Amino acid sequence: MLKTWISKNWVQNVILLVIFLTAVYYWGYVFEFGYKFNWSVLYTVNPTYGENLGLYLVYGLKVTLKITLISSVVALALGTFFGLGRLSTFKPFYWLSTAYVEFFRNTPLLVQLFFWYFAMPHALPLEMRHWMFGLNYEFWCATIGLAIYTGSFMAEVIRAGIQSIDRGLLEASYSSGLNYFQIMRKIILPLAFRAIIPPLGSEFLNNMKNSSLAMVVGVADLTWQSQQIESLTFRGFEATTAATIIYLSLSLSISAVLNAINARLRRTTYHQNDILSLGINFFTWPLTKAYLVMERIFSGLFPKKQAGLKLTTTQTIIKQTAIWSWWMLVLLSKALFALVFVYGVYLLGNGLYSYNWQVIWDNLRTLLIWRFPQGRVDDMFMGLGGLSFSILMSVIAISISFFIGLIVGLGRMSRNNIFRIPSLMYIEFIRGNPLIIVIFWVYFFIPVFFNTFISVFWSATIALTIFTGAYIAEIVRGGIQNIPRGQFEAAMSTGLGYYRTMRHIVLPQALKQMIPAIVGQFIAIFKDTSLAFVIGVMELTYVAQILNNRLMIYPFEIYTTIAVLYFVCCYAMSILAARLERKLTPDKVRLRM
Amino acid sequence: MRFWKIFALALAALMLSTQLAVAGPTYDRVMESGVVRVGMMTDSIPGAFFNDKNEWVGFDVDIAEEVAKRLGVDIERVQCTNRTRITFVQQGRIDMSVANMTHTRERDRVIDFSITYFFDGQKILAPVGQYKKHEDFVGKRIATMQGTTSEINIKNLLKELGDPNYERNVISFQRESEAFQALKLGSVAGWSTDSTILLGYAAQEPGKWELVGDFISEEPYGIGLPEDDSAWRDSINFALQDMWLDGTYMQIYNKWYGPDTPYYFPMTDKIEVWP
Repeated sequence: MLKTWISKNWVQNVILLVIFLTAVYYWGYVFEFGYKFNWSVLYTVNPTYGENLGLYLVYGLKVTLKITLISSVVALALGTFFGLGRLSTFKPFYWLSTAYVEFFRNTPLLVQLFFWYFAMPHALPLEMRHWMFGLNYEFWCATIGLAIYTGSFMAEVIRAGIQSIDRGLLEASYSSGLNYFQIMRKIILPLAFRAIIPPLGSEFLNNMKNSSLAMVVGVADLTWQSQQIESLTFRGFEATTAATIIYLSLSLSISAVLNAINARLRRTTYHQNDILSLGINFFTWPLTKAYLVMERIFSGLFPKKQAGLKLTTTQTIIKQTAIWSWWMLVLLSKALFALVFVYGVYLLGNGLYSYNWQVIWDNLRTLLIWRFPQGRVDDMFMGLGGLSFSILMSVIAISISFFIGLIVGLGRMSRNNIFRIPSLMYIEFIRGNPLIIVIFWVYFFIPVFFNTFISVFWSATIALTIFTGAYIAEIVRGGIQNIPRGQFEAAMSTGLGYYRTMRHIVLPQALKQMIPAIVGQFIAIFKDTSLAFVIGVMELTYVAQILNNRLMIYPFEIYTTIAVLYFVCCYAMSILAARLERKLTPDKVRLRM
Repeated sequence: MRFWKIFALALAALMLSTQLAVAGPTYDRVMESGVVRVGMMTDSIPGAFFNDKNEWVGFDVDIAEEVAKRLGVDIERVQCTNRTRITFVQQGRIDMSVANMTHTRERDRVIDFSITYFFDGQKILAPVGQYKKHEDFVGKRIATMQGTTSEINIKNLLKELGDPNYERNVISFQRESEAFQALKLGSVAGWSTDSTILLGYAAQEPGKWELVGDFISEEPYGIGLPEDDSAWRDSINFALQDMWLDGTYMQIYNKWYGPDTPYYFPMTDKIEVWP
């Protein structure tokens, strides 16, 4: 009886609506808020400051968009360059690219920004420094720092996309006489783009969300402005909500565009007259047209000559010299690159040699465990802090968010609206916002809705947990979708119910496949713990700030040390993830008939 | 699997049990529990900072401990930043915030304040010998911290002096230490905030920095207290006045700001005392 009712769509929707209305009723009429809402701060002129604070959000949005757009373009260029470098047979280029990718992927963006802003200028001559500071340094530091970070992720996406192309294709095109650039442009890249564009798109989205970190170097982006409103009026709830809505609509529109592009890519024929293709064609029409015109002009300028098989002597000589000079050019640029590379390594070594290692050694203990176990009674966990605090936070967050992710991921795949819609909303809502905003939610919203408070440590840990839960839910969904449908059907037809099918058949297989992705997520959370510094949690970045504040003259040493500490932990885990991935590739797990 | 389930449940239980708190009149609760929770800064030298033994010390710390002693309760220290010191009082996370906080009307709309316990004023810190007066900073970039009165005051000053780009020339960082790092780096020409904080940082590198010009504003510091809780406010005010009357206040003052300290800052005013 109940089952037939609950499987009806309208019943599910009604139940959802009732739950929603009850929540609205409870928080709207029954619950006594300890907090007095005042939404008017967002759109009226504030009497104390004589300004409309809502305009601040508009300025912030403008800065956020500017950072996002510029850094995306730079990141794409860097990513393509180093992504190709990862595939290069020329060793110095390969080494450089690998070092770039591994280092920047495995250290937190926050630490990188601090390094670029507070430490890097120390290495430059004074005049250059002053010249740089005249150029809106905060903005460019944040933008380029962000581009370098995103570029390292894009490089990996591009490498994987190019590597996914069959080797035979490359050999075939070489043997048909095309040169390297022709192969790239005509054969490899068009194919690779199809594999690259979907993950590249999500990197663009991440890039937009990461731009929120620009606030730490004093750039007035959206997050900064929302916190500015908070600090001027102490209306944290209202300001954070406004920022959330703006971020959410930004990411939803970006992902709508990405989804359209992905859907278009999946089409194989060009001329389809459904709305999607027409829309895409409409927007890309100028580009396509421009490309065609360019090509025509180009071929008009350099008409292809039908050269006979037999060359005259002069033609042979010209051809010979052309080939020779090309080779010389390549060799020369390689030698130049190698020289620059060696010089860079020399500079790096020199810089490291001039470090005051004693300072690092003296303070390593502080960075690792802060003042554990000599903390005062009011310290958390006997004065624990630093690296071990970051690890603790990420371990708690991953272990709880795993269960959240499992439940929400299953809910997302359920056919029942009661589970599906809330799960979907949770996932989209969280993934559409930067972590820093999620941290501010927990920090500002929980006290308002529950009339209680939690310490900054738990605030940050809960925020990390909620945030990661949404990402793990998507991993779980992907893992389960990878299991062949036949398995569900077979299990169902042997009479196992939903629960037992999941528990005994699907999840054991799916979880095994998910492990590498979950370790990847763990690395991401570990890096993200650095953001907790914004609300004052004693984790590694904050402890480093305290140290730097006290020692004053060793910013290089301190920021490099914490970058290395983060790197060592993350890199070890990513090696583990890669090894697990090799061991547990789906093909070995999946049964083939 | 079972282990993780138990682990997660235990964690959830631990969080709830340790973190749930009862709201209510602060005075009764503090007296009953025998613990007062005080929010203090971590990088305001010499207000409250971590010294080279990683101990949390400073003028504000001593004041808070003395107040707690006079109330006959233990102290629980909570770390605050410019961002969290008011929110924490609003949320009931702390019972008072001794966090070099200027008493302003805008702030007084959301929390209450004790009587003024410290008299400070805003100045600009700059490298020695480069700037003479406020006008010299027009068109230059100045660092300050987000969420402080200094940020508003310095913007207003630059605007008055006729700097058309005053919004862009004030760079607001999240912490004092970051602002000082930016000043040392040279990415800003000056750093403006309350003069005692500037003195505290300048004293770390004697002879390299100086305060430029007159006070930009008066910054009377008050202890931040929960809104509408007069019994609690009274007891804090009385404790501060008793400290002033029996000379304990000046002892603490001279320990941190006296002539023999690197942070010398003469006492210019008197704490308000009610007969």
